[in-house]
Amino acid sequence: MPTLKVNGRRVTVDSDATLLDAARAAGVEVPTLCQFDGLEPWGGCRLCVVDMSQANWDDDWFKVVTACNHPVDEGMTVITDSDRIIETRRVVLDLLLARCPDTPLIQQWALEYGIEQTSYTPNPDPDDCILCGLCTRVCDHIGVSAISSINRGWGREIAPPFNQPPPDCIGCLACAEICPTDCIPFETSNVRRKIWGKEFEMLRDPKTGEAVITKEQAEHFAERSGVPMTYFETSDRSKRREMAKTFEKLQVVK
Amino acid sequence: MAETPCSDLSKAEEILGRYPQEEPALIQVLQDVHRAYNYLPCDVLERVAEALEVPLAKVFSVSTFYKAFSLEPQGDTIVKVCTGTACHIRGAGQLVEELERQLGVGPDETTEDFKFTVKTVNCVGACAMAPLVIVGEKYFGSAKPARVSKYLTEGGADEN
Repeated sequence: MPTLKVNGRRVTVDSDATLLDAARAAGVEVPTLCQFDGLEPWGGCRLCVVDMSQANWDDDWFKVVTACNHPVDEGMTVITDSDRIIETRRVVLDLLLARCPDTPLIQQWALEYGIEQTSYTPNPDPDDCILCGLCTRVCDHIGVSAISSINRGWGREIAPPFNQPPPDCIGCLACAEICPTDCIPFETSNVRRKIWGKEFEMLRDPKTGEAVITKEQAEHFAERSGVPMTYFETSDRSKRREMAKTFEKLQVVK
Repeated sequence: MAETPCSDLSKAEEILGRYPQEEPALIQVLQDVHRAYNYLPCDVLERVAEALEVPLAKVFSVSTFYKAFSLEPQGDTIVKVCTGTACHIRGAGQLVEELERQLGVGPDETTEDFKFTVKTVNCVGACAMAPLVIVGEKYFGSAKPARVSKYLTEGGADEN
């Protein structure tokens, strides 16, 4: 298990940990936007940059790296609040604020780094998407890949194929839930759900009538897990009720 | 998707047959499809996604990323006007205007008879010949608006 120093604090972490894990283990906060525990790190938002020096490097030699996807090594030194790191993050946030001038999350982070208004020309037609890629990555992770990043440069955006309701979407809302700026619109009710222009029928508990998940979602999970469909149409309340009944019977036996 | 007519998929099948049915072949297949159909028809993309076992969203992502791919039907001959710095200074703007006058279409548009598609490009690396008009595979250096119709007949003839 490698031991390294984060802002002067010594920490020992697993050998497959990242610099971000090490910083967190040392109780040091590093800002992130595109990172989510459980998803492969991506290094897209560039907000988690830190200064890093390997054990065998000269003492004053540091390299700027993204903490979220950089592996740890024995004897490393990590500094998360050097002047150039703060300045780098400031530039990143300044650019993000130019892209999304009206997005509260970006405004907050920018303010934290002393930026009230972007020094660049603000996007004349802004939305809240910061292109962090979390939505497409979580969709890939679930094994659906219904949406992707399209076009390039200025015109880059997240969209389903041909900008039409995506045939592969299972309506799980993972993309909308994971979005740090809540910019993916959806509607959901006890009966119907709508996201990316596609409509879904909700699977409902046969006993209580509660909406559980969409039919497509249940089928997707049932197919991949081998768990029968009936498991997915049972609501949490029904499951607890069943469990309580089982316990009741156990007490009778006792 | 609904309004586009069905493409002849046999050409796509023939292209797919030339490559291993896996993700790394995607760009090669798309390039060949583009050459065969003059653009990337959406039903062909669906077939490619299915054959290579790549999610349709990924195929669409790649198709929209590269400038070399078009999702709209294109004319038989592509007319490119270089609007890089050197060409811009030497009058690329007038060439675009002249093309618009003659063909009735602006940049990124296709004539109604699907003969020509006009595009502007940023630099073709031949600044010494500025301004440049490229009709099909033919490069016309020191291009002048007055000669545009000649370029179109000369370059367009090669394609047919």
